[in-house]
Amino acid sequence: MAEIFVSMRNLNFLLYEVLNTESLCTLPYFSDHDRDIFDMILETGLALASEELYPALASMDKKAPVLESGSVRVSPVVRELLQACGEGGWIGAGASFQHGGQQLPDTLLSAVRLILGAANYSASVYPVLSTGAAQLICSFGSQELIDAYVPNMFAGLWQGTMAMTEPHAGSSLTDLKTRATPTKRGYYLLAGQKIFISCGEHDGVENVVNLMLARIEGAPAGVKGISLFVVPKLRPTTGSGLEPNDVVCTGIYHKLGYRGAPITQLEMGEHSDCRAWLVGEENHGLRYMFQMMNEARVGVGLGATAIATAAYYASLEYTKERHQGRPIMAKEPTAPQVPIIEHADVKRMLLFQRAVVEGSLSLIMYCSKLIDQVHAGPEEGRERHALLLDFLTPIAKTYPSEMGILAVSTGLQCLGGYGYCDEFPLEQYYRDARIHPIHEGTTGIQGMDLLGRKVTMKNGAAFKLFLGKVQQSIENAKKHEALQAECTQLSDALVQLQNVTGELLNLAAAGKTDLFLADATLYLEYVGIITMAWQWLLQATVAEAALANCDDEADKNFYLGKRTTCHYFFRYELPKCSALATRLLQTDGLTVKMDVGLFED
Amino acid sequence: MKIVVLIKRVPDTASVFQINDAQDGIDTSRLKFVMGPYDEHAVQEAVNLKVAKDGEIVVVTLGGPDAKDKLLTALAMGADRAVLITGDGVDSLGHRGIAEALAAIVREESADIVFAGKQAVDDDGSQIPERIAEILGWSHASVITRFSLDGATATVDREIEGGQLTLEVPLPAIFTTEKGINKPAYPKLPNIMKAKKKPMDETSLESLRLSATDLCNKVSIGQMSLPRQERLTRILEGDNNTQVAELVRILKEDEKAL
Repeated sequence: MAEIFVSMRNLNFLLYEVLNTESLCTLPYFSDHDRDIFDMILETGLALASEELYPALASMDKKAPVLESGSVRVSPVVRELLQACGEGGWIGAGASFQHGGQQLPDTLLSAVRLILGAANYSASVYPVLSTGAAQLICSFGSQELIDAYVPNMFAGLWQGTMAMTEPHAGSSLTDLKTRATPTKRGYYLLAGQKIFISCGEHDGVENVVNLMLARIEGAPAGVKGISLFVVPKLRPTTGSGLEPNDVVCTGIYHKLGYRGAPITQLEMGEHSDCRAWLVGEENHGLRYMFQMMNEARVGVGLGATAIATAAYYASLEYTKERHQGRPIMAKEPTAPQVPIIEHADVKRMLLFQRAVVEGSLSLIMYCSKLIDQVHAGPEEGRERHALLLDFLTPIAKTYPSEMGILAVSTGLQCLGGYGYCDEFPLEQYYRDARIHPIHEGTTGIQGMDLLGRKVTMKNGAAFKLFLGKVQQSIENAKKHEALQAECTQLSDALVQLQNVTGELLNLAAAGKTDLFLADATLYLEYVGIITMAWQWLLQATVAEAALANCDDEADKNFYLGKRTTCHYFFRYELPKCSALATRLLQTDGLTVKMDVGLFED
Repeated sequence: MKIVVLIKRVPDTASVFQINDAQDGIDTSRLKFVMGPYDEHAVQEAVNLKVAKDGEIVVVTLGGPDAKDKLLTALAMGADRAVLITGDGVDSLGHRGIAEALAAIVREESADIVFAGKQAVDDDGSQIPERIAEILGWSHASVITRFSLDGATATVDREIEGGQLTLEVPLPAIFTTEKGINKPAYPKLPNIMKAKKKPMDETSLESLRLSATDLCNKVSIGQMSLPRQERLTRILEGDNNTQVAELVRILKEDEKAL
């Protein structure tokens, strides 16, 4: 096992030097906190990750969950972890004091989630799922529902899930069929089937609380007829007991990676006794779910970044220790071999990983701060922050997910044949990382979300806000000599982005929606690269300012490393935008027009 | 019951250590500092005892302002109050001086029980708690792996070579903890947030009526160096006789093993 899976130095840089997270403590909602508290929380999170999660990384992969008589047996680590997270207050950490939480900023909690995810992504998912589900009940559920479910979820005794997908309704939620029949007893009777439900059943907890989408009988067709329900595996009885709720786990999936967490198939209402309690109002379910889903999508980007982070440090460690070959310019064949990190191509591979990992993390943390500002910032700025967050969410979900896979693959490549073997963790990271472009909305869905919705929403207000923010960062960076070329490059990229976007919007205006959205995924990739360039410029600007007054050798190295990685991104990655722009401007509809029959042999 | 826990802020042993320019100590500028790992067990044992028998836990350390963050960690783990001995002369104290200062606090607090880690992991001195017991004239049991209390008598186990010793120790007494006595709990978030609101007092050698001059370290470090870690593999060239001769020379002259 590699010794390091995360860099606290980099996290501190982003938290305190780039994002000035302490400033959130001036907001009334976060006023009980300060830097000392943040530091202690990070330290405790790192201890939990290092001592409990990281040692179980390989074993949870090798001994995947097993379904036995309707119950899913998971690693004993899961129960211990949920107990520790529950007792420690981690699951409800972001919730309000009123709901038993600690009102901690999402910016800080994202850093903690990164640490836990880098140590063991599968294990880290269990508490995070409970957090999301419980917060959904807190936001939209009745006080009765909150009292009945949230305390046990925050305590780590009950698992929370999000149950949306059905066999015939994956990306297309409009086709959901799970049916809810009203009763006169305050609950609905539910019948249907859900698939791909993370942690929908396991023996690490006493109960599972599914936040489930279903259609009430007689509801309008499509997404406007979907409601949200609490559907527990065991329902509370009038006393303090629990009784089965006619929810059965009928299968678990055997996956490529991310094997430590069970992905289940649930059957509800086989005996017509599955009770479901409505959350909020009828037919508003998708809107409620998507409030959480948007933050969950940033969370997916975070998970992808976490795995790629661990892979980067594992490969970095290996390249420092593995001696192979001699410098290209060395003439003496008997000279000692050098660590492979000395070779230019290996440095390129490490720089690529670092550019993806630290750029992605920078964006995720930026989004987390926006989440805090939307929830607790001054009223007058909330709409602006929400708009920018809306725009960035598909990018924050997708860039780390798609590029994280390439980063991990490059990390694996650094180890050569050893990277392909399970003696090193890279092959597991490679498998674990593959889920992220798929779950919580595929990359294709994210592309359509960005181009079809986010770019055009409110007459392009979110897009203009994004352009303004990038432009502002360019202005701030201009005072640093080392970043002049980057400022020019990013300015040019912004001009090109506006041209490309304008051309695509013309298609939409002309009613050619199919052509407009045909290459939405490419557009997402294109904007993703520009967004990363922006995040690297932000980081490099802070690093340049710090370098001006830096005496400490280690700090100087860190900041120079930031500068070099920023240069790397602008010289190796940003130029890829030109090719993408070329294709996006062609708008010939090759994929739209192609007859599916042409795929035959 | 008053329980005093002695802790020390020490470098994380996972850090990369470098010798300072004067070669008389380690360069601390880039090190990450933690609470002594054995001290964490001491704090946890005090918390366990408090849960079982009630009482007050006072955590104490000695050092500069940087030491406060580790006192804060102990408060987050469940200690009630903290005392930092700081100010002029503290840095120059030797083991005897440190023991005198800590003993003064233990006396001032009228403690019934003192817990401390069996050793700090920086200089591995393993003598401060023992010296305090001697100064106070108290009973003492070191390297304990189990602790229980019945009235004014503690029963403790300590590992010995090839076996285990069970001791009955009358209070007041000092105990040093070994790993295995408990599993330190991770500080809970509500306790982390409460920690800063708990009292943390500062005192000085002068306030404790101790003389820094009298108690300053009389031992000086001549030189400090890192263990050799470079790869020592050498491939000897030539015929067998030449190789053997060279091997003998290396063992005698370079390694001084013969």
